[in-house]
Amino acid sequence: MSNEICLRCEEIERYLGEDESRVHALRGVSLTLEAGTIHAVVGPSGCGKSTLLYILGLLDQPDGGWVTIESELVSHLPDDVLAHKRNELLGFIFQFHFLMEDFTAQENVMIPMRRLGRLSEQGMRERAAELLEAVDLGTKLSRPSRHLSGGEQQRVAVARALANDPRVILADEPTGNLDTKNSQRAFELLQEMVTRGEKALLLVTHNPSIAEACDWIHEMRDGRIVESHRRNGWR
Amino acid sequence: MTPPLYIALRFLFHRKRAFVLSLCGVVFGVAIFICTQAQTQGFAKRFINSTLGSNGALVLRAQFRPREDNLLVPATSSNAKAARRRYFEGITNASEIMRISRRFSNVVACAPVLRGTLSARAGFETATIDLFGIDAALHLRTTDIGQQIITGNFDDFRNNPSSVIVGSRLAESLGIGAGDAVQLLSSGGEYWRFTVAAIARSGVGSVDSSRVYCHGTIAQKLLRKPYPASMIIYKLREPDRAPGLAKDFERLFQHDSQSWQEREEANLQLFLTLRMSIAITVSLIILLAGFGIFNVLTMTVLSKVKEIAILRSMGYRRRDISSIFLWQGAMIAGAGSVIGCILGALLTWGASHIPLRVRGLLFADYFPIAWDWHHYLWAILLATVAVAIASYAPARRAAEFPPVATLRGSSV
Repeated sequence: MSNEICLRCEEIERYLGEDESRVHALRGVSLTLEAGTIHAVVGPSGCGKSTLLYILGLLDQPDGGWVTIESELVSHLPDDVLAHKRNELLGFIFQFHFLMEDFTAQENVMIPMRRLGRLSEQGMRERAAELLEAVDLGTKLSRPSRHLSGGEQQRVAVARALANDPRVILADEPTGNLDTKNSQRAFELLQEMVTRGEKALLLVTHNPSIAEACDWIHEMRDGRIVESHRRNGWR
Repeated sequence: MTPPLYIALRFLFHRKRAFVLSLCGVVFGVAIFICTQAQTQGFAKRFINSTLGSNGALVLRAQFRPREDNLLVPATSSNAKAARRRYFEGITNASEIMRISRRFSNVVACAPVLRGTLSARAGFETATIDLFGIDAALHLRTTDIGQQIITGNFDDFRNNPSSVIVGSRLAESLGIGAGDAVQLLSSGGEYWRFTVAAIARSGVGSVDSSRVYCHGTIAQKLLRKPYPASMIIYKLREPDRAPGLAKDFERLFQHDSQSWQEREEANLQLFLTLRMSIAITVSLIILLAGFGIFNVLTMTVLSKVKEIAILRSMGYRRRDISSIFLWQGAMIAGAGSVIGCILGALLTWGASHIPLRVRGLLFADYFPIAWDWHHYLWAILLATVAVAIASYAPARRAAEFPPVATLRGSSV
């Protein structure tokens, strides 16, 4: 594990809704993700876990505070630049896998690569095949994603998140929709990818066994990180 | 292939039925536009060609001098030009005018005509006729009279001074054919007997139902005119430039000159109005197709909210998202235009083979059609504009979708 900081946020504030329904979703949240570490964010529903994830993933803008990716301040960059950063440096995994139904497993994995445009069509196909091979889906490259099981679809989503070799993987309850066996398998896969590729993983989870297996656990309540502890001790 | 184009293709072919429906709207709109334009312009062109072939592209008529009475209040009506001039019937120096006017590069040929109105009799039938006293050789070079002969022979007319060529519908009403005799009532009150050398069909109803051609020298005697020509008709290399040349001739010869555009203004306006009216009607069809595409694309956007959010999360920019839907519109417009043009050409070809008996303003046995690439260009342009307008709003809407709202699901 290196000490290189992949992603950092400081004093993030976020309000959701307007007027009377306005909610103070994040209240001064700070977090640092180092390469090769896995962070779990836990907490009750509505405590701001996903909101934090979307801000760190540059899909949402904070009302206060800042975000850096690889030491570059990114939270207030123009939308097009943020999109490019998302494409190049971040990988997303969602609870409901969110695959493109009409696309095959391989084509789904190729979608981020197409946007980045660094590989040829053949190069993209080969890389997608490698990634799917790594998640044990090498025999189902050409299968439309809607014909895959839930566990398989989530593994395609993992492969897709890794398509552009991102520095940070953000996962919103990636095992929330899977049975125990598939949950464990998906998590092991992510663990392997993170440690092997010197990436940082931040995952939001309700699964205690998965949270316990992470390097860091951040407990959120009412828009704040109230406790952060390492696997081997409290911080 | 750009990523938005690739994704657009996938989205489009996933919703095949909607795609085919949108496509059909554009295809039929384009095809009908092309076909109707070909027909209406076909009628107009047939009429123009016929009238140019019979009456020339430009006509030089009576000599004029400016009025010198300055006390007159200047006229402001359309007849202002006439009000400021004093006209003198006939052309006395036709040969000189023709010699000079042949030097104009746009003039192909010109011929003098002595025109008058007489009465014709054949058997028990009589009719008022429009007599054209012509120089056979010059008239043959200036007009399409040679091609207009449907029975008889132009040479028979050329070689026989007491022969005439009769318009086809006039011949029908008088019940005469080539070789028959016809009597023309001279201005002196006596009937002159002529042999019908040929029957001519110009295709213009007003010409075919009244015109009789005879030799110029004979016409002068029949009409008892002191001058050998009342007008000179011109065949032009570029008939579209006739109005300019008419002005030049007026200035140069001090004779009233009229271009075919001025002469046929009423008919041309009629054709133009008809064409515009049909173009507007068919444009509405294309516009309706545009509404169909708008609906289809809006539904596609709404059904792809999740995919749009996924793409945004993977780094696709707003403009990439809008490009996906604009590309879909472009593909519908492109494919619709190509297929529509092919179908339009086939429909036009089919229409040109539909038997149609027109015997009014012009003569036609089949739908006259005009093959003009401008029709295709306009149809494609209309389809493109309609589809672009129809695609813009859904594409913009897709780009504005906040991905977080979709991705958030139920969690906060």
